[in-house]
Amino acid sequence: MNFLAPWFLLGGLAIAGPILFHLIRRAARERVPFSSLMFLRPTPPRMTRRRKLEHPFLLFLRCLALLLLATAFARPFFTRDIALPTDPAEARQVVLLIDTSASMRREGLWNKARAVADSYLEKATPADQFAIMTFDRQPRTLMSFAEWSSWSADQRAGLARQRLAAVNPGWMNTQLGLALTSAGEQMMTDAVAAKPAARREVILISDLQEGAKLDGLQGHDWPVGVKVTVERVDPPRKGNAGLEIVSRTGGNIEAENAIRVRVANSRDSSREKFQLAWDGDAAPMDIYLPPGQSRTFMAPKFGAAKTSGELHLRGGEKTFGDVSYYAAPETERTTVAWFGAESVNDPEKLRYYFERVFPETGQRRVLVSRPYTNEAFSAALLAPAAFAVIADKLTPEETTSVRDWLDGGKSALMVLTDSRMASTLSALAGLTDAQVTEETGGYALLADVDFAHPLFAPFAEPRFSDFTQIHFWKHRRWEIPAGSAARVLATFDDGSPALVQLTVGKGNLLVLTSGWNPGDSQFALSSKFPPLMQRMLDWSGAEMPVRFQFLTGDEIPSPGSLEADSPPGQRRSQVEWQKPDGKKISLAANAPFTETDVPGIYSATFDGKERRFAVNVPLDESRTAPIAPDELARLGVPLQITSDVSVAEKRRVQRHLAQAELENRQKLWRWLIAGVLAVTLGEIALGGWLARRVRTAEVVA
Amino acid sequence: MPALPSNSSSSRLGETFVDPKALMAIRNLELRARLVVEGFWTGLHRSPYHGFSVEFTEYRQYSPGDDTRYLDWRLFARSDRYYLKKFEDETNLRCHLLVDQSRSMDYGSVGYAKADYARTLAATLAWFLNGQGDAVGLFTFDGQVREFLPARHRHGHLRQLMLALEKRAAGRETNLIAPLRRVSELVRKRGLVVLISDLLAPIDQLEPSLGRLTAAGHEVIVFQTLDPNELAFNFHQAVLFQDIESERDLYLEPDAVREDYQKRLSAHGEAVERICRQLGISFHRITTDRPLEMALSDFLRSRSRRGKSIRRRGQSSAAPKT
Repeated sequence: MNFLAPWFLLGGLAIAGPILFHLIRRAARERVPFSSLMFLRPTPPRMTRRRKLEHPFLLFLRCLALLLLATAFARPFFTRDIALPTDPAEARQVVLLIDTSASMRREGLWNKARAVADSYLEKATPADQFAIMTFDRQPRTLMSFAEWSSWSADQRAGLARQRLAAVNPGWMNTQLGLALTSAGEQMMTDAVAAKPAARREVILISDLQEGAKLDGLQGHDWPVGVKVTVERVDPPRKGNAGLEIVSRTGGNIEAENAIRVRVANSRDSSREKFQLAWDGDAAPMDIYLPPGQSRTFMAPKFGAAKTSGELHLRGGEKTFGDVSYYAAPETERTTVAWFGAESVNDPEKLRYYFERVFPETGQRRVLVSRPYTNEAFSAALLAPAAFAVIADKLTPEETTSVRDWLDGGKSALMVLTDSRMASTLSALAGLTDAQVTEETGGYALLADVDFAHPLFAPFAEPRFSDFTQIHFWKHRRWEIPAGSAARVLATFDDGSPALVQLTVGKGNLLVLTSGWNPGDSQFALSSKFPPLMQRMLDWSGAEMPVRFQFLTGDEIPSPGSLEADSPPGQRRSQVEWQKPDGKKISLAANAPFTETDVPGIYSATFDGKERRFAVNVPLDESRTAPIAPDELARLGVPLQITSDVSVAEKRRVQRHLAQAELENRQKLWRWLIAGVLAVTLGEIALGGWLARRVRTAEVVA
Repeated sequence: MPALPSNSSSSRLGETFVDPKALMAIRNLELRARLVVEGFWTGLHRSPYHGFSVEFTEYRQYSPGDDTRYLDWRLFARSDRYYLKKFEDETNLRCHLLVDQSRSMDYGSVGYAKADYARTLAATLAWFLNGQGDAVGLFTFDGQVREFLPARHRHGHLRQLMLALEKRAAGRETNLIAPLRRVSELVRKRGLVVLISDLLAPIDQLEPSLGRLTAAGHEVIVFQTLDPNELAFNFHQAVLFQDIESERDLYLEPDAVREDYQKRLSAHGEAVERICRQLGISFHRITTDRPLEMALSDFLRSRSRRGKSIRRRGQSSAAPKT
C-alpha cells in the first residue's frame, strides 16, 4: 500500500477532536446550576485525566470516518513494480571517459575515479545507454553502447564494473583533447545516433593535470546536444617533480659525453630542492627548482662505457616520473661525395653552403668529401657514399663510375652551374644530346613546385609551401626531350625546369638548373634550403639517424630495416625485442615495436647486434597541478554544471506521474469514501438513538 | 407525645395529602395555602393525631402596673399570691414568618424551586394562623430584609401578606445576620418567629443571629427547606457546576465528590440542629418533595410541645401550688 498524497494522512490527527469532545464536550458546554457549592470541593486534577470516554462506540465510528476520509484524500494505491516509461525523451547516452594516464597512478586516484564511475553506473536507468572509454595518449573504447544495450538491464552495471576493474592506469601521457573529441564522436556513431536520446553526456573522470594535451579542442565542432560533465579526482598528496633527458650536447661527443636534462616541478608542489643522480652513482647533484618551473640542467657525467642508465630525481614526492632512462646513442656516419673543385671556405661557392647544411649531431655525422686520392679519382671512395653532388663537368672515367654507382640504387644531385655540363648530363642520364643554354633574361622565380613528390612533401602545408620568394639570378634552360621519363619537380616562371628527377638504373639523378651560390641565386639564404638538402639526403636512402630516446607509447623503428640491403644469406628475418620486465618478443625485421607501455630500457637484437632504446614517461605528465577550471570552457567544451539535480527531479516527477496513473486505475479512494458514508450513516443512527435514549431517560426522571 | 410522622408514614399518608407537585401547579398562593390547610383539617379528622389544642394558659406573677383585671382571684384565694391569668385574647399568637428569598432558594430539581415551596409553606402557615385568629407578620429577606409586614390580624392583612409573598425578590446570597438582627429590632413584642430557609450559609452566622431572637423572648421554629437532590446529590455526569448565588463555576465529577458532599452537608445540618437544640429552637428539615401538610403538622406539634413544656414549666415552677 502506498499513498499518492501522504500528507493528507495528517488529517487523521483530526480524530483528536472527537476524542477530546467525547471527553470534555458536556463539561465545556453545559453548566448545572446548583444552590450552593459551599460543600463541594473541586475534583482533583488526577481524576480529571481519568475522565471516561463518553459513548466509546460512537467515538469509534466518528474516528473511523475521519481516518477513512484522511486515507481517501491521501489517495492510496497498491504498490506494484512501477515500470517508468522508457520514453526516449528522457533516455540518456553517456560516455564515461576515464583517464588512465600515468598521472592517475598517484596514490588513491584510480580508486576514486572508479568509485565515481561506479556511482554513475549505479544510477543508470534501463533506458540509459552507457559506453566506457579510457584514454591516455590514445582513447580506447572499453565498453561500447552496443555491448551495453546487448546486456540485460539488471546486469549492465555489474558487467560494466567488471570491465572497469580489469583496467589500470598506464604510463602514457594525457591527450585530453583527443579523448574528448573522440568521446563526442562516439556519441554520433551511426549505431548510437539511430537511438534517440534526450541527453547526450560525456562524463570526464580525470585528475585534469595541466600537462594534459588539449590539442584539437579549440574550434572543435561539437555534436549538437552533447554536454561534458567534469568529475575531477584529487590525490591526497599534491605536487610532483619529473625529469626528461633532452639530448646530448653538440660538439665532440666522446669528449664531452654530457647529457642535458629538463626538470619540471609542478605548481602545487611543496618542494624545491632536488638531487640528480645516475643509478648506482654515489655523488648526486643538487639542484634547486621552485614549484611551477621547468629548467634544464646538465646531468652528472654519464659513464662512457655504459650503454644505458637511469637518471634519478631525488627529493620529490616519489610518485612517478622521477626516473629517466637513458640509452647512449650510436652515431651514424654518412658520406656525401662531392664532384667539383671548390674550396670549403669560399662563400661564393656551392660547397661552402652545402657542408653547413649538415651540422654534426649525436645521431648523425655527415662527411662531404671528394672521392679522390691524391687528386686521382677513386671509385672505391665513391662506393660507400650515400649521396653525391655533381657541381662540375665530369671526366669520362668519373662519368662511368658515377653512372654505375647510380645504377646500384644511389642518388645524386647535379647542379648545372654551367651550360658546358650538358655533356655530363647527357652521359649520366643516357640522353643523346642534352641542350643546356644560359638564360640571361633577368632573375627567375620558382613558379610551380610538385608537392606530391617525396622531396617536397614536407613543404606541402601552406605555411611552408611558399618558394616564390627565392630569386634566381641566373639559371640554365634545359630542354627536356619529348618522351623522356624525366619528372619535373619545379619550374621557373619562364617555363624552364628548375629541378628534374631522372631515373638512372635503380638510382635517381636530380638536376638543378641553377646554383645556390650567391652568384646564381638566393637559394642558400632561403629557409627552404637546409630542409630540402636534408630531405634529399634522406630520400636518397642514406642511413637515417636512429633515435634512442622514446616516450611511452611511441613506436620504435625496427633496427632490422637498417640492414635491409644485407646479402640475402646473412639476413635474419626476425628481431628479438626485450622489454624492461624481461619479456621477449620476436617481430619481423621491418615491423616497428609498439609495446612501449612501460618506461625503461628496451633492447632489440638483430643479427647478433644489440641496440638499446630508452622509453620514458613524458615530462608533461609530471605537471600534475590541475588545469584552471575555466580552461575547458574557454576551449569551447560544452561543459555542463551538475546535471544530477535536474535529472533526479525529473525522475521524481515521472515516478509521481506513474504512481498517479496507477492510483487512478485502482481508485481505492472511492471505496474509502463509500466506507466514510456508511460509517457516517451508522454514526448518525447511533447518535440519534443515544440522544433519544437520553431524552427518554430525562422524561422518565 | 405523639409519634413524629416519618418518611415512611408520609407515604402512608400520601393518599391523604396533596401532592406538592400538583399543588405547585396552582398559581394562586392563597389558594394553595387554603387547599393545604383545609386538606390538613380534613385529613386531621381522620388522622390519629387527637388531643391537639391551640388553647393554652399561662400564669404570670403579678408585678406592679399589670392590669388587675387579669388577676386570678381564685388562685389568690388559694395561695394568697397574685398571679395574672392570661386570657385567650391575650395569648393570641403574634407570628412572624421569615422567608428566605436568596438565590440559593431558586434551586429545584422536582419541578419547582425551594423558594416556591417555602413561599407556599409560609402562606399555609399564615392562612392557618390567621384562621385561628393569630396575628401574622412577614419578613422576606436575602442579604437583607426585603419585605416587612408587621404581625396583624385584621381584614385584608392576609391578602396583603400573600401579595408580599408572591413578590419575587431579586436577592443574591443568603446572609442571616443582617435580616435577623433587623427582625429583632423590628419585632419588640415576643411572639413566634418561623424561619423558612435552606440555611446554606456559614454556620458561624447562624448561632448569633438565632440566639438574638431567642434572647428577645421569641419562640423560634426553623424550617430548613432543602431540595431532595441537595441531599442525594443525584448527579452522575462530570459537568461544570455553577453556584446560583455567586455564579462561581466548579468542574466536578459527581460520583467522586458525592460522598464528601453528603458528609459535609450532613455535618452542617447536624451543626444547625445542635445550635437549635442549644437555643431551644424547634428545628425541622423538610424536603421540597414532602407534602406541605406534614410541614404544617410539624409546626403544630412544635407548638403543642411548646405549650406543654410551658405548661409543665408553669405547673412545676411558676404556678402556685394549691
